[in-house]
Amino acid sequence: MAAISNAFVKYFVPRHFRFEALVALRHLSTGGGQTILTVSAVATGVIIVVFITSLIFGLQDMLTEILTDAIPHLTITVEEPEPRTLQQVSGGIEGPASSRIEQQAPKLKFIDNWPQVVETVRSLPNVRAVSAAVSGQVFASKGANTIGVSLIGADPDKQDVISPVTPNLLGGRYLGLASDEIVIDAQLAQDMNVSTGERVRISSGTGASDSFTIAGIYSRGQGPGGAAYVTLRTGQSLLGYGTSVNVVNVKLIDIYNADTVADSIMALLPYEAKSWTREFPEFLTSLQAQSASAYLIAVFSLVASGFAIAAVLIVSVLQKSKQIGILKSMGARGRQVMIIFLLEGFGVAIVGSTLGAILGSLIVYLIGLIERPATTAGQDPERLFPVRFLPLYIGLSMMAAILSTVIASVLPARRAANMNPVDVMR
Amino acid sequence: MNIKDRSITTSNNARAARLPPVVVETRGLRKTYFGKIDVPVLFGIDLQIRAEEFVAVVGQSGSGKSTLLNILGALDSPTAGTVLINGVDISELDSDGLARLRSAEVGFIFQQHYLLDEFTCLENVLMPITIRHGDVTDEDRSRMTRLLERVGLGDQINKTPDEMSGGQNQRCAVVRALANSPRIILADEPTGNLDSRSGEEVFNLMREMNRESGVAFVMITHDDRLARAADRILLIEDGLVHEISREEHRRRTADSLLT
Repeated sequence: MAAISNAFVKYFVPRHFRFEALVALRHLSTGGGQTILTVSAVATGVIIVVFITSLIFGLQDMLTEILTDAIPHLTITVEEPEPRTLQQVSGGIEGPASSRIEQQAPKLKFIDNWPQVVETVRSLPNVRAVSAAVSGQVFASKGANTIGVSLIGADPDKQDVISPVTPNLLGGRYLGLASDEIVIDAQLAQDMNVSTGERVRISSGTGASDSFTIAGIYSRGQGPGGAAYVTLRTGQSLLGYGTSVNVVNVKLIDIYNADTVADSIMALLPYEAKSWTREFPEFLTSLQAQSASAYLIAVFSLVASGFAIAAVLIVSVLQKSKQIGILKSMGARGRQVMIIFLLEGFGVAIVGSTLGAILGSLIVYLIGLIERPATTAGQDPERLFPVRFLPLYIGLSMMAAILSTVIASVLPARRAANMNPVDVMR
Repeated sequence: MNIKDRSITTSNNARAARLPPVVVETRGLRKTYFGKIDVPVLFGIDLQIRAEEFVAVVGQSGSGKSTLLNILGALDSPTAGTVLINGVDISELDSDGLARLRSAEVGFIFQQHYLLDEFTCLENVLMPITIRHGDVTDEDRSRMTRLLERVGLGDQINKTPDEMSGGQNQRCAVVRALANSPRIILADEPTGNLDSRSGEEVFNLMREMNRESGVAFVMITHDDRLARAADRILLIEDGLVHEISREEHRRRTADSLLT
């Protein structure tokens, strides 16, 4: 061990610091339980940080994925004008007028030039997929059983990227959907007591009605309320949109940058673009609260390990006070003595944080392997702990641990540097 | 100046030229420990230690021997007066300057060997060189190895202090004090923890080094035989230093035994 530390000092440490590095390394390599204790304190701090950040950010990812996987990240629709009083309308009538605001009745809002809109949005950065769609409320009936359902008409290839159906199919297919075929939610299938291959009748508010073969049944595990999917052309025909659509859905690469893309779209096109983050602000707030908790736990862990290290190093300085005295009597300067103890802290930090990062990653990996049965029948088992391997956070936690350990060793190092050799050797 | 005066001056200069140079000098050195009660220890000491000298310092416990030694080695500072180490006034140096001065000019030997437990005998004796230069050369290593072999530690160079006897450790500490070829070595009861045989070995070793290299030794001792083997004996009494002859030392020792 001594030979290794000597060789390390000789070949890797500048001549200027060889004395300090030699003594520090020897202290650490012969420190036994004390060295193990300090290294363990740093490693434990890093393990906690790696585990907590992996778990919390993994959980956030899972929640975000659950929310955003099934929904478009951006929806482009015709802007619905806010009702205003007559006084607010420029050039409106003069004289007494009612200030009562009447909510306008829902009406069809057409995006006629949707191919152009799709083309424009597709050319923007951070856009993964764009899909024009029609959506509306219809009635699905089988015999005397009639149930209200949301209908989405879209090109299956594109819709599968926006709100994936195929991965959630319990039976049948979605891709290659024919104009007289429909894919319905498992809950609706259960309520209507139908299965793949059977036919259902779909009637819209415009009076259009047609019979469809159930090509597939899907479940996203989110309970009732799942939409029914038909082709774009069929949807347009059923909901009375002609060749127009009422929504253009967008899927992004970086979902947290949705607001910027939405703003760009609104600057380019006369439509309203709503990002998922603006649709669900509470969700973002809860994510931020979770992140804050993770950071707080990380800080407390590192501070706690920092205190532990400072305590052990102070004891070490006291134990070595006679040695410090003799080094000073031999001509060691206060600065050199301080560097010895700072290097000790640094050595502990490097070894401890590396060990912590390796063990923390291993724990995260092993915990990620634990599974629990799927909540929805037919789906794959889910991970019990939705941990996420985060190299950036592992690196950051290592750096933070190194920093906190070195800071923790400043006090003992200064104490050692200021020791009066006459006092300690008396 | 007449011819007679000139001849006297020339004669004095010739005598001065023959004397070894002064390595440590104190003028009016005073030391008081300040606290709830101020304790004066040294009251104006004028002293010169020359190269090649072996000086024994004797005196009762608490008389200020160690205090004097620490000040002579720039480990402690005087309350008043001047201390010159190789002509350098230590009061003009900051703590780094004092450390550099100690490194270059002074060697210490203590009652306990104070070798570093984590290092081998050879590494311990190389430590002052490492502190001073940041590294040791092959030449340093072979020089110190030869020195260890000379003092009978040739087969102990790779052993740590806990693997060696007290006498061996103290011999190692003597060699360590010589590492940077200092002008003066200050030994605070270097044989105090050793049996009489080991103590004599260590003393003979110091005396040998003193004669060979010309390094001055100032040794505090309670051993009367060792004190009388020194070139000069300084007695510290009532905060003052008196140079006494071997006979007077013998007489004082005998008196103290009778009382």
